[in-house]
This record gives sequence, structure tokens and C-alpha cells, in this order.
Amino acid sequence: MSAYDCPREQDVVNAVLGGRWPDRCDESLVAHAASCLSCREVAQVSMLLHEDVDHARIDVIVPAAGQIWWRAAVRARLESTHAAARPMTWMHGITGAIVIGAMLALVTAVWPMIPELMSTIRTIGKDYLPSSEVASALAGGLRQSLLIGSIAAVLLILTPLALYFVLSDD
Amino acid sequence: MREITLTDMERLGAFDEAERTFQMTEEAFRSFYELTARPVRVYLVRMTGDDRLADDLLQETYYRFLRANVAFSSDDHRRNYLFRIATNLVHDHRRKPFMEVPAAAIAEVPDAAAAAQAAERAARRLDLHRAMERLKPRERSMLWLAYAQGWSHEEIASAIGVKTASMKAMLHRARQRLVALLKNGERS
Repeated sequence: MSAYDCPREQDVVNAVLGGRWPDRCDESLVAHAASCLSCREVAQVSMLLHEDVDHARIDVIVPAAGQIWWRAAVRARLESTHAAARPMTWMHGITGAIVIGAMLALVTAVWPMIPELMSTIRTIGKDYLPSSEVASALAGGLRQSLLIGSIAAVLLILTPLALYFVLSDD
Repeated sequence: MREITLTDMERLGAFDEAERTFQMTEEAFRSFYELTARPVRVYLVRMTGDDRLADDLLQETYYRFLRANVAFSSDDHRRNYLFRIATNLVHDHRRKPFMEVPAAAIAEVPDAAAAAQAAERAARRLDLHRAMERLKPRERSMLWLAYAQGWSHEEIASAIGVKTASMKAMLHRARQRLVALLKNGERS
């Protein structure tokens, strides 16, 4: 027997919780508890807690099993739905990133060609247009339109993506 | 015949889903719940001191239990696992002290002797609640599981996550503290 417990402690607890303590249990156990400090304490604490449980059980109201089951089922369903949607959300994110990357790559590739294109247009314009002022004005206009068109294209792709991520639940 | 509504359809869907993810059927759950719900609810109320929180934790306890992927070797193992979940949930909600001091439960009693007995019992419970309130949450859990539920040291150690060897000493200390607090309560 250690300093912390007596081998008969559990018997005392069982007798108390079984409602047999002290009148309807083994007399030797009662006699032992009278001389064993540990068992005496166990009996005291166990009786108090048992009495408290008995009293609490009279008043306790628990929800119906069906209600608990139903709530758990609904929650399980919601969690399953969220879990199933998670890879889709990731896929959407990855797709969006690829589209943005491809677009940026395209703009980067095309951008150096723009001055060349402008000078070609200017050269052609010199041949066909009445004056060089008209040709350069036309080239400047084209450059501006291209810039606005690029920004509009970026916004057209980014806005739905941003809205999707802001409004999505997960 | 009653018209089938959308709610009914949804309910059927939810139950189908539940059958796939829960570890037991609804019928088995009902039997298990009838056996365990009251002790678990009392335990949660006594450990948290809050009826509403206890109700929430009760729902959460059974939800986690239903979704647990554990092979139970016996009914005791199943019940212990349930209390283990409840204990962990209580320890996650340690912010509140033990419990509100209950209103003295001296209900209508037929005669003076019975009234005196009821008053005495209520006073004992009040002393117990006050003493338990001053213990650490883990000590409360240990004492409750050992002396109100009758669990073995191994079962309690498993439920609160300590070694069985340490359990004996910890329970002994907790019990001594409670007894000392009860004695102080009597004196005051």
C-alpha cells in the first residue's frame, strides 16, 4: 500500500455509489474505514458528491436524443459540404493566379514591340497620310488606346476574381 | 397524409450524410444517450457552473463522440471516451470559476423534521460547492470522476491525460484539499 491510497478505497466508493454505505455493506469494510484515514476521507467525499449527483439528477433536463442527433447530423452535413468545396476553392485560386501570370507574361512580351509598331505605323502614315503631324497624332492616340485597353482587360479579369474571393464563404 | 416539405427533404439528406460519417446508428445512439446524457450533463454543469454552457458542451461532446473514429472495446471504454471529450471541453472553457452558488434547495416539505433534513442536505451541498469552487479545474474533474462516477485511477488518468502513477498522488492531494476546505467551511 502506498502513502497515497488504500486497496479498499474502491470498495468504499462502490459501496457509497451503490447506496449500500454504511448500513448495507460488509461490516469489515465499515470497521476498516473507521480506522483508515484514507478510506474515511474517501467515504466522506464520495458521500457528499453522490448526494450532490442524486440531487442534481432530479432537476437535470437533457435535450431529446433525436434533437442531439439531428443537430449533429446537420452540422456534419455542413462540415462535409465545406470540406468538399475546399479543393474547388483552391482550384479557382490557382486558376486565377495562372490567368494573371499568363496575362502579365503576354504584356511583358508584347510591350517592347509597341514602339516598333508605332514607328511602322508612322512610316506607313507618312506614305498615305497628308502630313507627318496627322501621322504622329494618330500614333499617339493608338498608344493611349492600347494602354487603356490593357488596363480595362486587367480589370475585367481581376474584378470577378476579387469579387469571388471576397464573397466566397470559405 | 402529411405533405412532405423541403425541411423533411433536407432532414432526410442530413441523416443520410450522418449515417456515413457517424460511428453509430441513430438507434444505437439513442440507447447510449439515454444511459449517459444525464451524468454527462450533471458533470458539465458542476464543472463549468453554467447551465447554458453545459448545454452547448453537451451537444459538442456528443457531436465529437459521434464523429470520432475510434474502435471501442467495451461499453465502459465508450463511456470513458465520452467523458474524456467532456473533460477536454471543460478544460478548454476554464475561464469561468466553478459554479454559481445554487439557490438553497429547500423545496416545499411536509413537516418540520423533513424540512430540517432538507435544510441540512442543502447546507452540505452548499459547503461542497464552495469547497469545490476553490479547487483547480483538474482537481474537480479528478474528484468527480473518482468519487461521483466511481472510475478507477486508470480510467481517470486516461480521461484527463496524465500518467496512472501520478494519478494516485494527484487524487490523494485533491481529496485532502477538499476535506481541508470542507473543514474550514464548517468552522466558518
